[in-house]
Amino acid sequence: MANRTSAAQRPNGSTQGKICQFKLVLLGESAVGKSSLVLRFVKGQFHEYQESTIGAAFLTQTVCLDDTTVKFEIWDTAGQERYHSLAPMYYRGAQAAIVVYDITNQDTFARAKTWVKELQRQASPNIVIALAGNKQDLANKRMVEYEEAQAHAEENGLLFMETSAKTAMNVNDIFLAIAKKLPKNEQTTGPGGSGQGRRLVEGDSGAKAAGNCCK
Amino acid sequence: MASSMYSKVDEYGFERPESFDYKQYGNFLSQYIGVLAKRAKRWEDLKPTDRFKKTSTLKRFVRKGVPSSEREAVWMSISGAQEMQNESMVQYSSLKKYMENTTITEMIKIDIPRTFPDNIYFANDSILPEQLFNILATFAHHNKEVGYCQGLNYIAGLLLLVTKSEESSFWLLKVLVEQILPKYYIRSMSGLLIDLDVLDEFVQKNEPALHRHITRVGMPWAVASTKWFICLYAEVLPTETVLRIWDCIFYEGSKVIFRVALTLIKIHRQQILEARDLGEMVECFRKMGQNINVVNCHQFMIEVFKTPSSFSNRYLEKVREKHSALRST
Repeated sequence: MANRTSAAQRPNGSTQGKICQFKLVLLGESAVGKSSLVLRFVKGQFHEYQESTIGAAFLTQTVCLDDTTVKFEIWDTAGQERYHSLAPMYYRGAQAAIVVYDITNQDTFARAKTWVKELQRQASPNIVIALAGNKQDLANKRMVEYEEAQAHAEENGLLFMETSAKTAMNVNDIFLAIAKKLPKNEQTTGPGGSGQGRRLVEGDSGAKAAGNCCK
Repeated sequence: MASSMYSKVDEYGFERPESFDYKQYGNFLSQYIGVLAKRAKRWEDLKPTDRFKKTSTLKRFVRKGVPSSEREAVWMSISGAQEMQNESMVQYSSLKKYMENTTITEMIKIDIPRTFPDNIYFANDSILPEQLFNILATFAHHNKEVGYCQGLNYIAGLLLLVTKSEESSFWLLKVLVEQILPKYYIRSMSGLLIDLDVLDEFVQKNEPALHRHITRVGMPWAVASTKWFICLYAEVLPTETVLRIWDCIFYEGSKVIFRVALTLIKIHRQQILEARDLGEMVECFRKMGQNINVVNCHQFMIEVFKTPSSFSNRYLEKVREKHSALRST
């Protein structure tokens, strides 16, 4: 929770190092905890009964890695199968994805695997994909073994962590791990563009984006 | 109504947003109470037969708001739900018996506690969640093309809060999905995808500069507006405003959704233009329900029917057909 949003802002212009902006999308079956992971990461909150996401939600959060400020533009999508037809518009041009499943539900793991396949086929070729086995706090009802998911992640070159939006376990960590793995060249914007209208350049948003460094 | 003036929840049990401006709301309410009293009197004076016959008088009355005590009966009548119920060979109570335990009912079960978790009636009442489950599961069982689509839970939930009748809520949900609205909720959600394109065209025509700005920032309409269509503004705008909109949707059909959308966009033109990036723009759309001009449902509905002055279902169907054809090529 060290990198949670705080109101503190650095004085204008004192941008240290680079600012990189990445588009990240959350995918996975309904009710696995996508919105809860985002709510935990962005606001440090948890609701036992999180309302189902209709369409998609968009949030941003910033983390700091050494001298680089990484700003995540997070697209939190609806999980129900039929909302699938809207998903490509959210993962198109995304540099990172978190595919979420619920460790107490084997079906959601199967669904996560098909999401990974779809991303590997359809999304940007260099997309960083993380697999998150959420609801780790319910490990006594576990239906998906850690080793099974880890093996799948290794075979497919995915980052993998078990998380709990409820206890906050590994929530910041998974975003940080993604941030570390993302290429932080100058002007990191979407490969191929896809017209996302990014206009973030160094120093441009010093006051806005770089306000909440964790270190 | 007056009792909720300084309450943290509205009269339907929904929490007001954190930044809710009680002072402005108080000013609005002190006027609106007078309006409500006047409208209630006018409805009382309406001959019982005129209350349910679709005439230009009734249309005008509906646009000015159906009194909350009359909503169930008037909605049932003007929407065609009553007719549907009368013509149905089977009563709701026996339709309900055929519920199966399927993956669909499992999905509905998961969504019940996630429907209006902050609403005091849903949180503290054990019957409402059970009724909501019955409505959704019965509907899913009898409409296989739709089954269960997330979003229907909010519509059925609000219908239940307003009518306090499981049976009426079922028929109102059924008439909405099967007769009034396009194919928003079927597996392909084709009706939604088309209406998002239609909205894009309407905004481009009515607000070209705004449209250019939104395109440049890169906000897909699906992000800002999916809930507008799928939930009919429930969970988006203040409850009283939503119910005033529903009064008109039940009477005039789905074109009202577009009228409301264009009015929301028009009211927030400046804020949208000032949004410099996607985050700011999405936030601007998300907060539209908090604007006093939207909270003031009476004035808002006057605006809704001001521009465009005429908007026919036939015209809307033509535009929909065009975009449907474009999508399939």
